[in-house]
Amino acid sequence: MFTFSKNTTGGYLNIYLKGDLDIEGTEVMEREITPEMEKYSVVNMDFTEVPFIDSSGMGLLLNLVHTLNKKGTTVYIVNVKKDVMEVFELLQIPDILGEGVFV
Amino acid sequence: MYKDSLTYIYKNDKEIKGDLNKALQREINLARNIQSSLLNGKTPTFDGGEVCGASLPARLIGGDYYDFYPLVNGKIRIVIGDVMGKGIPAAMLMILTRGAFRSAAESTQSPGETLTAMNQAIYNDLKTLKSFVTLFCADWDPNTSTLTYANAGHNPPLYINGKSNSIEELPKIKGIMVGGLPNQVYKEQSVELNDEDTVFFYTDGIVEAINKDGEQYKLDRLISTLEQNKEKVVGDIERAVMESINKFTAGVPQKDDITMVLLKISKQKADITSLNSPVFS
Repeated sequence: MFTFSKNTTGGYLNIYLKGDLDIEGTEVMEREITPEMEKYSVVNMDFTEVPFIDSSGMGLLLNLVHTLNKKGTTVYIVNVKKDVMEVFELLQIPDILGEGVFV
Repeated sequence: MYKDSLTYIYKNDKEIKGDLNKALQREINLARNIQSSLLNGKTPTFDGGEVCGASLPARLIGGDYYDFYPLVNGKIRIVIGDVMGKGIPAAMLMILTRGAFRSAAESTQSPGETLTAMNQAIYNDLKTLKSFVTLFCADWDPNTSTLTYANAGHNPPLYINGKSNSIEELPKIKGIMVGGLPNQVYKEQSVELNDEDTVFFYTDGIVEAINKDGEQYKLDRLISTLEQNKEKVVGDIERAVMESINKFTAGVPQKDDITMVLLKISKQKADITSLNSPVFS
């Protein structure tokens, strides 16, 4: 089951994701997190507790980062597990989003 | 009772919902048949080697794709892909991908060019639909015993060396998934294949298949299954892999489609008989 928690620091929104970012997780994010993100200048998405991401999750991240960047919000994806990072790299997500997104 | 066009037949919400469900089920079955027919087209047969492919959707229909395209110069073009997402939406995009591949395969000279043409053709659609496809495309040339390939964000196939019996990934080549960025040029890599060598192309649904404890099938189990069955013909290797996955998952519903394509080289030189290659006069 996918859950999340969040806190704010100044204009920063920190989101801590927990669980597989698959189609179900993607639906939770779209419904419950995405609308809030554009209110902040910086969003940190913490992947410490995300063990798996599938193509739906990848698609969500690609679109989320692009959409938020256009609206002036900077997104950072932090603390990605090695297995998950390998999938990001296979799909060359850092090349598409820009290396600076992954911290 | 007499009924004319003005007769109103009362149906309650439950009946209407039941009708809709039946209609939806019927349409899903038809969609599945269409996809299955397109996916399970003729597998080319040729001297000097054999190919086969299989796909098992996680839901009623899926977003994985594989295809073979015999070329006029005697080569055979192989593609395997995984559309973002699952179920009906992915299946619709899989059909779009198939059309792009068939069209590109006919008009391009190499797998890299095919991926470039496919990205060119469907990038805007995929961007609009917020989707993407990972694809691996390879040309097997029986005259030079060379496999040339290009990659658009797909996991690299496994190469089973017929002599040394080692199993390893094909040398990596990078490329952005189709729909990821516009105007991509896909680099190519080549390997020479010898008698009894096998190349196993697959989608991540195999290594990410899960059992009741939430464990993944993983690459190690796949390699072990291939090691135990590498001397068989491609159809039997395919069945052995499917059986191994089924045994591992033991009926647990899977989240992702499972697809594989095998190419195995045998001693005779190949002479591919064309199934649907273009005719140049």
